Amino acid sequence: MAQRAAAALALLGALLVAAPPRGDAQALQRLTVLSFDLGADTTTPHVDVPFHLMLTLRVRERVSQIANLDLPGLSQLELLGDERETTTTAQGTQYRETVTVVARDGGTVTLSPATLQAIDAHDGKAKQWFSNALTLHIAGAASRAMANAARNVGAALLWLAGIACLVVIMALLARRRRSVVRPPPVVAPSPPAPPPVIFRTPAQRAQDALAVLRAERSRSAAIAVRAAMWRMVGASDGETLADVLRRTDAHDRITRELLVALERSAFTYEQDLHGAIEDACGALERFIEAAA
Amino acid sequence: MSGEREPAALRAALAETIVGQEGVIEALLLALLCNGHVLLEGPPGLAKTLACRSLAAALEGEFKRIQFTPDLLPSDIVGTRIFDQRESAFATVLGPIFANVVLADEINRAPAKVQSALLEAMQERQVTIGPQSYALPDPFVVMATMNPLDSEGTYALPIAQMDRFLMKVNVGYPTREEELRILDRFAVADTQPVRAVATLDEVRTWRAQAHSVHIDEKLKRYIVDLVARTREPSEFIDYGASPRATLALAFLARSRALLGGRDFALPDDVRAIAPHALRHRIGFNYRLAAEGIAADRIIDGLIAAVPAP
Repeated sequence: MAQRAAAALALLGALLVAAPPRGDAQALQRLTVLSFDLGADTTTPHVDVPFHLMLTLRVRERVSQIANLDLPGLSQLELLGDERETTTTAQGTQYRETVTVVARDGGTVTLSPATLQAIDAHDGKAKQWFSNALTLHIAGAASRAMANAARNVGAALLWLAGIACLVVIMALLARRRRSVVRPPPVVAPSPPAPPPVIFRTPAQRAQDALAVLRAERSRSAAIAVRAAMWRMVGASDGETLADVLRRTDAHDRITRELLVALERSAFTYEQDLHGAIEDACGALERFIEAAA
Repeated sequence: MSGEREPAALRAALAETIVGQEGVIEALLLALLCNGHVLLEGPPGLAKTLACRSLAAALEGEFKRIQFTPDLLPSDIVGTRIFDQRESAFATVLGPIFANVVLADEINRAPAKVQSALLEAMQERQVTIGPQSYALPDPFVVMATMNPLDSEGTYALPIAQMDRFLMKVNVGYPTREEELRILDRFAVADTQPVRAVATLDEVRTWRAQAHSVHIDEKLKRYIVDLVARTREPSEFIDYGASPRATLALAFLARSRALLGGRDFALPDDVRAIAPHALRHRIGFNYRLAAEGIAADRIIDGLIAAVPAP
């Protein structure tokens, strides 16, 4: 318990250190918030089975990053990874943050809303927006011994990842300082350091996806897994399968078969869904095997 | 797929005769499966007639070509009644529109009255000559062509008439490699005859199959979003596509899925056919031409702006 708390605190601490400083009203972004949603690929996750929380914010303005956005407290869950993506189109900007988490204890967990502080472009006043809250019903429990072992390995990995991230950030900062000395003085402030991202290999991501798909053989799970695998090959939301297959990361046969199988599970008719998800699970297994 | 032969066999048979022009071949097959008609715009000599003739031959169907000219009359297309002196009665002579595959060559060379006669027949799938109505054959596909290079003495089709075409395909020149293959294939012998690979009955079966291809709710919303995007205020667009475009996109996506051997449609199906289903249904204003911007560039931008599900 103490190890788990320490691991979570370490990761949260790293995230907080890297987060941009909270500004006053003048430093807030001027935004027109169109939607602000907190969701999960399943609301009935299983103990020790990773799943994803998805925070989606759409604003009318075209901005390169979103500041002053706070995730809900995740102290009852264990953090495995965090991916952020900002997509700008003619309609505005979509910010999407996908947090990979795992529950270690059963029961009901209610996540408070995520918050965003910005100046409302409608009236020019500083405001705070709230996403929806999210209730998760965590079911099932693996054997305690296995859970403890996995937790210990996870905690060690988290420590290692956290230390590695800090070392990388410090090295980057040191290099930047050295390079700033030579050219003429630059007035612009250095941008905030990127948040540490826990690196997950494609095989690990596929294992997460397989766990999600096996835990919940539904259309929504298939769509979430499809989205995760698309991100893995560098694709973004809004692309089609043909776009994704043109990417260099998706050139090998096994990856292509996986992407095609997931596309089928996302769009086929209801009676074919079970078979399509079975095929997708098979494709994921082959991918994991090949990646290993 | 329950049919013995699949529509992909038709595509393969056409590809044996026609070098390149996959867009034209696919448009013809999609029109056949959707029970619709195609408008082709491109310079002469790009195998449009050959494609039509080959399609009819591959189906063991009848092919007719009508060259549109300024002096053409509606009766030259649909048929007329002539007085038989021996029988002392009027006899009906059916026009060239009574065929399975009809090529309406240079449709914009004929005046509006003749264009209307053709487009009405395309829509109603029957023609009335004198007191009697005659049903057109089934399948019945019209492929109309327009030449963009020589617009003198032409009668532009109004948007309302263009909307009756399921799709409009821009036919481009072949690539260098394709042109070399054309040279090899047609330099010595004349056009290779197309072998029959399907029957008209099979086409009717495929059409029924295309209707039962699944379109997911996400895909339906994507189609509606695409069409709605064309109606949003724009610097270059006066008016957007009609709900007929929405229906056309759904029909075409289903048929393309069937052509690809699937019984469910994908976002790729919608995106691939969207330019062909939208380009003749959007009213572009004078600024587009004044600034020398290709309409397809605007359409590509509209499609890219709508995220696929």
